[in-house]
Amino acid sequence: MNIIQTTNLTKSYADYTAVSELNLHIPQGSVYGFLGPNGAGKSTTMKMLLGLTRPTSGSFTIDGKQYPKDRVEILREVGSFIEAPAFYGNLTGRENLDIIRKILKLPKSAVSDALELVAMIPYKDRLAKRYSLGMKQRLGLAGALIGRPPILILDEPTNGLDPVGIHEIRTLIRSLPQKLGCTVLVSSHLLSEIELMADIVGILNRGHLLFEGTPEELKQTVKAQGCPTDNLEDTFLALIDADNSHRGAIQGGAR
Amino acid sequence: MNLGLEFKKTKRTGLIPAFAAGGILAASIPILNMAVRAEMYTGLVAAPVQILLDANWSIMSMLNLLLITVGATLLYHAEYENNALQKMCSLPARESGLFFGKFLLMILLCAMTLTLEALGIAFCTAHWFSQSAGLSAGLCTEILQNFGYELLLLLPAAALSLLLASACKNMWVSLGIGVICVFIATILPIGRFVPSLFPFAMPYRLLAGTAADIALAIAALLELSAISLGEIILIKIRRSLT
Repeated sequence: MNIIQTTNLTKSYADYTAVSELNLHIPQGSVYGFLGPNGAGKSTTMKMLLGLTRPTSGSFTIDGKQYPKDRVEILREVGSFIEAPAFYGNLTGRENLDIIRKILKLPKSAVSDALELVAMIPYKDRLAKRYSLGMKQRLGLAGALIGRPPILILDEPTNGLDPVGIHEIRTLIRSLPQKLGCTVLVSSHLLSEIELMADIVGILNRGHLLFEGTPEELKQTVKAQGCPTDNLEDTFLALIDADNSHRGAIQGGAR
Repeated sequence: MNLGLEFKKTKRTGLIPAFAAGGILAASIPILNMAVRAEMYTGLVAAPVQILLDANWSIMSMLNLLLITVGATLLYHAEYENNALQKMCSLPARESGLFFGKFLLMILLCAMTLTLEALGIAFCTAHWFSQSAGLSAGLCTEILQNFGYELLLLLPAAALSLLLASACKNMWVSLGIGVICVFIATILPIGRFVPSLFPFAMPYRLLAGTAADIALAIAALLELSAISLGEIILIKIRRSLT
């Protein structure tokens, strides 16, 4: 069963289309790796799923609920972390999470639970503006994980973390479906990272979904196209290059 | 609920001490004025509260408006500074609730400032106007009526300041526009009804005991509704454009 499903989801601005007729199928209990180079439309897609930006056309359902009709109900089930950590710099880490807890109407213990999940207990009473980038990132993740929501939308959650932090967060994300029974949509522009976390991969380039399936299916698909499959990084780059050349040719032809 | 959250968000921003200090400063204006030139006012034939307000209210209300402008800017700066607004918008709550929560907080802060100012006026009346013989029930009622009316007239300016602050990510833009509005209000002929409808000019008007008082109070409520509607439209437009 697909817990998140988009149908021809499109977001256009005056001079360009950020996301074009996107059809995502995210099964319940999976880690879905959303992969694409910078500017591919990953964050825009995630923002649409969270109701932060309105789709130009198309629709999506999350856990059977339709946007925009059920926006508040959808957000009640989704924990999110978009682009960069978002917090009140004048409040401590604990106070920041307490604000989210109150809006989500969670018990007080949810704050320490979330802090524990991201190993931030020792820094909970420090002002958020004094946190290092990695700590801010962890605080943002704690804000997404608070209350252990059934769906998590994480946009490049390991940005700014040191190698140890990246490993910890990656292990945490990988363990979430088993530990909390949740579904994770995680984006990155690094295939090596997605490869280690995701059950299913969606590759986005220039707003178009190039591929959706398991990493194994990805290898088979690109092998059939004559692209390298020795390592997934090369596979990803070959796929993006081929799409860029194809779109360049179409645009050139149109001119 | 929203009010409690908004109150919590102001922790360590200096907002509440700023309003308290602003209130004390405004309250000290009539006291200093009377201390320096009491003879100019004690001989006048009118109610002491009216004399004091006529003499000091324009500068006191300008201080109130500057406080409101700074306060609204600070409230939204905390939301924009580290992208907290985006997190709030991704939570199961109405985005307009953020505005109305801040507006309720602003009403409380204005009420606190006006209370301090009312105490200043009450002190001047009791101290310098011998005929009032201390703080009588009549004097308290008169002060309550005047300052209650002033609170109502401050509401459109508070809502408009919040609307500007919510529309401008850069705090200096909203602060600049707010300060310009405050100074525009000082050059408007607020004695006439139509110019005094400008939200930043309204708080300069005093309770005169005429039909214009009620008309202005109704206009304040209508402006408040229009500004609230403006915020809701702004939220929808922002969501479509981002």
